[in-house]
Formats: sequence, C-alpha cells, structure tokens
Amino acid sequence: MEIEKGKTFKYLKEKREVSQQAKDQLKEFNRMKKSILEALKEGELTIIALSEKLNMPEPEVVYYLMSLVKYGFVATGEVDDMDEYFTYKIKQ
Amino acid sequence: MNGPSNQLNFDALVVGGGIAGGEAALNLASTGYKVLLVEKELSIGGKMIMLSKVFPTLDCAACITTPKVSEISRHPNITIFTSSEISSINKIAENNFEATVVRQPRYVVIEDCTACQLCEQACPVSVPDQYQYNLVGRKAAFIPFSIASPKAAAIDIENCVLCGACEKVCPTNCIDFTQEVETFQVNAKTVILATGFKLFDPLMIPRYGFGLYKNVITSMQMERELAPTRPFNTVLRPGDGKVPDKIAYVLCTGSRDATIGNPICSQICCMYSIKQAQLLMGALPMADVTIYYINIRSFGKGFDEFYQQAKGMGVNFVKGKIGKISEQGNGNLTLRYEDINEGIVKEADHDMVILSVGVLPNQDASDFFGQDELQLDPYNFIHQTDVLASPALTSIKGVFVAGTASGPMDIPDSILSAGSASSEAISYLIQE
Repeated sequence: MEIEKGKTFKYLKEKREVSQQAKDQLKEFNRMKKSILEALKEGELTIIALSEKLNMPEPEVVYYLMSLVKYGFVATGEVDDMDEYFTYKIKQ
Repeated sequence: MNGPSNQLNFDALVVGGGIAGGEAALNLASTGYKVLLVEKELSIGGKMIMLSKVFPTLDCAACITTPKVSEISRHPNITIFTSSEISSINKIAENNFEATVVRQPRYVVIEDCTACQLCEQACPVSVPDQYQYNLVGRKAAFIPFSIASPKAAAIDIENCVLCGACEKVCPTNCIDFTQEVETFQVNAKTVILATGFKLFDPLMIPRYGFGLYKNVITSMQMERELAPTRPFNTVLRPGDGKVPDKIAYVLCTGSRDATIGNPICSQICCMYSIKQAQLLMGALPMADVTIYYINIRSFGKGFDEFYQQAKGMGVNFVKGKIGKISEQGNGNLTLRYEDINEGIVKEADHDMVILSVGVLPNQDASDFFGQDELQLDPYNFIHQTDVLASPALTSIKGVFVAGTASGPMDIPDSILSAGSASSEAISYLIQE
C-alpha cells in the first residue's frame, strides 16, 4: 500500500484491528461527556448535585468531570460556604 | 527489518533513566565517554520527576529534576532510547558486553514534534492517565506530562481507534503510524544498572480497602494532588470531590511487614509522609492531619528537625498499628487501630486516608544476563558484593549498580550511589 504522509493511520488500519475495548471506552467517554455537559447547561453544579441529577456514582462523576476540566470543556466555579464542595460550569 | 544502523557501539550502557541512571550517564558523558541511556517509559526522569516537593528542604522536585533532565537530553555524548527495554546482556570478555535493546514505536517522530498539543485536543479517546495515577483521564494521542523529556507526543496504540484526527491537525506531519518495533544490537564496554524500584500495591492488603473505598488513596496519588501539575484544581477526595479536612496517613503500608513478604523498611515513607503533611497544612490550612506510625525513622541530615517542624505545625502523630479501615455512608472512613503506647484498640474517623506505600525490588535486571548470573540479595534487590568499600560492585565484573536498584534509599543517597557507580565504571574503563 502506498503510504501518504499525514494519512499514515490508514496504513496501520489495514494491518491492525482496533480492539473492542478501545471502541467501548470511546463510546463510554462520549456518553459521559454528553451527559455532564448537558446537565451543566442549566447552571453550575457540585459533584454531589451532578451525581444525583445524572443518577451516576460520585467517583465516576469526579473522574469524568475532572477529565473534562483538563480537556478544557468545563471550568471550576466557587467553593460553597463550608469550603467543602466546588461547583463546576461549562467553559465559555 | 533491521539494518546495519541497528548495530551500535558505546562506552557505557546505562539501564534506567531515573535520577540515578541519569546522574550516572551524565558523569560518564562529562568525562568523555559515549553513553547509551535506555528507559522503558516515554520520558526520562523516573519517579522523582513526578514528585511535588522533596524532603527535608521542601524544594520543588521539578525545579531540581528539569535542569538535570535537560542537561542529560542535550549532552552530545548521551544517546537516549525511551520506550525501550533490554532483552539480554551478555558479557563476551572484559570491557565487552553485547546487549539487545528493543524499542517500541512511539508513532511520533520526536525530532519533528513541536509539542503543540493539537493532536491531544483532536483525539476523541480518553483513558486513565497513568502519569496522574489514574485520578484523571488523558488522550490516546498525548504528551506524557508537561515536563516530560523528550517533550513530544506519543500514541497509545492499545487505546487508539485509528481515526486519523491527530494526523489531520498535526502541523509538522510528525505522526507516523508506519513505525514498528526496532531491535538494536549494542556493544558496550561497561554496564550500569539503575532500574529503580517498584511501589507496593496496596491491593495486596484488602483490609485497608484500597480500590474499594475511593477515599483511600496511595501516597503517590497524593503526591500528584499536591504537585503544581495536579489532576484537580486543589486537594480533593476522588470519591466525591469534597475538600478533605480530616486526613490520615498509614505509614509502613507494605513495608516492615513479613506477612506480605516485605519485612524491610522503605527508608522513605516516614519522611515523604511528613513532607506531604506539611504541604497539606499549607494547601488546606483548616485541615487536621494525623500520621499513624510504628516508629518514625528520621535518620538523615535535617530529617529530625523536619519531623519536629511538622509537630510544631500541628501534625498529629499517633503510634498505632492499623487493623482495618471501613467506610461510612458519606464516604468517610473509620480506622480501627492498636494504640501502641496505651496497648488498647481504638477507632478514629477521617474523611480521607493516604496509604504510605513501601518500596519493592524491581527484578527486571536479573533477567538480562545469560551465562553471567547477576546475584540478588535476600530481598531481591541487586546484590552489592562489597557494600562497605565499593557499594556499586555487583557479582559481574564491569556491571555496576546505581540508586534504588540496590535497595531502598532517598534521593540524595540515590545521587551519591550514581556517583559511586559512574566512578567505578570509569575506573573499569581506564583499566581497558
């Protein structure tokens, strides 16, 4: 196969199959990203509130939310009066 | 297919690109010897480059490591192979070692990558970031961490979905999915083993609840939470994102414990826990920090003063052995422990627990050698044949050991050990 610079992924795609685990991970991340960003559209939320709204375990919300902060989709808001929980909002 | 360019000649082969291997390579290179530094990770710098600060000076670890790593990377006498492992080393004669080195493809041409991170932004995949100890995600096209050396992207091929998004946005066309595994035959006159140590996996002590209770974390995870390049905006519980205010440290997790097969002291967990406690009190001034210990071993220069300083700052020290950790409904944790001074069992509640994990041997090096057996000590660290007079000597003449490959030690001792190994190696090279 002729290898075109900038499109070498096609070469590896011919030789190697993408694992089901990699496909599932991508699907799960996209699902979580969509759910979290959708929930935050209505306003800032804490992790506890997000977890209740999405009916998802809190540790999972922490992991995906913090990943979305890292990737620049979400920004950290203010901490509550007890200095315990931060809110999170969609990054403008 | 491998051609003649895969036959390489060096004066010294240094295995392991952590602080000890890097220091040894630098010493040899500065003396005029040609060095091949082989590192299995995507970046050199070892575990030290991942730390927040160092004890007892509280200097920024990155501020010390980065110039060193940069010097190693730019030294004309040092060739660095990352993502590479030794498959064998054979001693043919004195000053003549033959090694086989296998380099995994990075799928990025390092020299052409500008670390612009556009590939990271374009990559749709997110998987746990091993460099943040799985507290947060990273992309499949990624730069390992901000101070990585080489600072270049890499493709995690196991998790890549081969969508081509990274290649489309790469301004220098440095992503190359045609790269394959390469095998190199290396001739070297001497070998330095700086293969480092492994951290104890607390899953081996189920009664501590690590993996089950999300607010029980390891000291390396806390190290990342305290670092400037941390995974969260501040120190948070991974269980629910709460800012913790009652934090416990469990010292000797996986060390001084014959029941899990590691009866020796880690030499570092007292001091790094005291360091983290001080940093936590700076980051969270209202937090209570309690350290549960068997003995505090503050044996080094300035260590006891550092311990006293932590006490003065209000860190609570409890001489107690933890029996069990259990979780309450709100994610808080109950520690059941034996108060060693009073001889009674007590319970205490905390909202986050840090397991100060111990040091285990990395036995990789023992598999490198064929006919020349590399001897290990009773704890499976590399045996030092003359520990008092020439601590870098191993059971194979011409092969030297540096840093924690020979046993638990802190950073200054690792650097001293690397100095010893490089001096011994230079003496051996001169005798050629």
